[in-house]
Amino acid sequence: MNSQALLVTGGGGVGKTTLSAAFAVVAARNGRRTLVVTVDPARRLATALGVDELGSEPTPHREEPNLWAAMLDATASWKAIAHRHAPAEVADRLVDNPFFQAAAQHFPASQSYASAEEMANYLDARVWDLVVVDTPPAAGGIEFFSAPAEMRELVGGRLLRWLTGGGLPGRRALFNLTARPALRIAGSVLGSDLLERVAEFLMDLRTTYDGLARRAVQIEEHFRLARTVVVTTADPAPLREAARFYRELPDVAAAPDAVVFNRTLPTAWYDPRPPADGIVAENLQRWGAEAHRQAEAQEEFAVRWMTEVATVPWEPRPPTDLDSLAALIQASEGLPLDRLGVQP
Amino acid sequence: MITGKGGVGRSAIAAALALRAVHAGRRVLAIAMTDDLGLAVHLGRERLTYAPQEIRPGLHALAVHRPTALDEYLKVQIGVPRITRMGPAARAFDALASTAPGIREVITIGKVLWEARRGNWDLVVADGPPLGQIGSHLRAPRTVSELVSVGRVQEQAAWMSTLMADPSVTRLAIVSLAEELPVTETLETLAWLEGQDLVAEPIVITNRTLRPLEVAAADLDRLAPGPARQAALLHETLVHEQQRWSADLPPGPRLPYLFGLLTPAEVAARLADVWEEG
Repeated sequence: MNSQALLVTGGGGVGKTTLSAAFAVVAARNGRRTLVVTVDPARRLATALGVDELGSEPTPHREEPNLWAAMLDATASWKAIAHRHAPAEVADRLVDNPFFQAAAQHFPASQSYASAEEMANYLDARVWDLVVVDTPPAAGGIEFFSAPAEMRELVGGRLLRWLTGGGLPGRRALFNLTARPALRIAGSVLGSDLLERVAEFLMDLRTTYDGLARRAVQIEEHFRLARTVVVTTADPAPLREAARFYRELPDVAAAPDAVVFNRTLPTAWYDPRPPADGIVAENLQRWGAEAHRQAEAQEEFAVRWMTEVATVPWEPRPPTDLDSLAALIQASEGLPLDRLGVQP
Repeated sequence: MITGKGGVGRSAIAAALALRAVHAGRRVLAIAMTDDLGLAVHLGRERLTYAPQEIRPGLHALAVHRPTALDEYLKVQIGVPRITRMGPAARAFDALASTAPGIREVITIGKVLWEARRGNWDLVVADGPPLGQIGSHLRAPRTVSELVSVGRVQEQAAWMSTLMADPSVTRLAIVSLAEELPVTETLETLAWLEGQDLVAEPIVITNRTLRPLEVAAADLDRLAPGPARQAALLHETLVHEQQRWSADLPPGPRLPYLFGLLTPAEVAARLADVWEEG
């Protein structure tokens, strides 16, 4: 069986995690064996999906026969990556190294790469018809897709070559690192032992290169075959992010299959005439104007990026169970559910 | 320094805060610490540069470009001569900045604190990193002190720690929404900060708050089905959700939800006005 991937992307705070879960519930109810991989769900959503613990392995849902959920812990995944790609004794040293811990937490591509590799593992397992991935909220979101290339760069020894002046020397070369004139000044400012520790870390990291580089190529192949949904609202900041996916995604993956405007208000609320007096009428006028501007933003986006636009209505209470998640998709308009793999 | 979870309007609040201070006659510098785009558009610009640009009288803005900031840090703060700031030594620092914990963050925060101390501005507003990275940024000088135990880098890190912990120099504002995830993360960050002694008591700003309609529930129930009723129910349900979550946050400024999907520059200007009106 071939697993299909559905990547749910978009800026922060637009409801990506909720919609990922909603797609998964509907797919499962359509008879597709579905895994949803989520990054940082609200507690009530995690409970609804049956994953309360960070880093949980795919867990079958207690009530929904075709639904599995997993919750990613980027730091734990990094440990797994080190153990997968580095020799055992190096992997232990890496995981304990403060530089590694810092890189795992702060190297911008690291969390993205960790999720991408987990995604690839789930797809390669060929256990599920559909794997829905809630992409991590890294700056820009697009980083999820460029992470494999960036990781290849990081561990590929570019920095190490700079530090050691070309070539990839053995561990011995590190002892004379700051004897080289170019590095003497850096050494005198920072202390020579610090530079040596950095070089040592990079050297260890480099042992993961062959495995990681091979894996990165496979991950990029998965990206090209995946379906992608961009989630946004009509607000300017998320719209800017959404446009970025349309502009840059074709370079690193397949072009987005759909854009979903979450929190859409009914256009029937709009009435250009001045409102009648009274609190309720004025309230309708404000929300109606908002609905009108939303419709304009959707139209503009559709024309600018020549794409189909789907909408999901504004649900003021966040969904807390599978039925209310599925209801979001049922109330949506314009979603190409068959193309996204949610409907067989 | 302003932080907040992605999507809460961090850059809009930073821009509004800067504008409000300009209206009060202060010389203000707004700094984009991580991604410059958000702050730029809220100030009506396409991009910001590393050199401070005058946005309007009394307001300048810049974006921290890390390689340039690194060069400036080495020159101004560490005193490394120009010739060695280029070539292999610069690359060694670059390598370090990419891998060693705290170095990147110290360079960015160092720029903000240096601007705050140089006497050109009455107020420096920094559009900071997202909430998830604020801990590593605030802790960076301490992390660097632990790594580099000697010399100018160590002294600079100690200088930064002192300035950040002094409430007359540095204040941290966390922007939140009255929704589950932003509130949860804000509370987690506040709890973490409690035990760290890095900055004085942070301020929590709640963005996009809605006012209740002041219509009796019974009157709403009597409304005929249709848009007016639906819009009133949506509004009141959102208000109810917001009240529930904001009850958990410490007291602080609350800024209103702005209807009409304004442009980013309009949003910042309106928020500044609302804020001045109290």
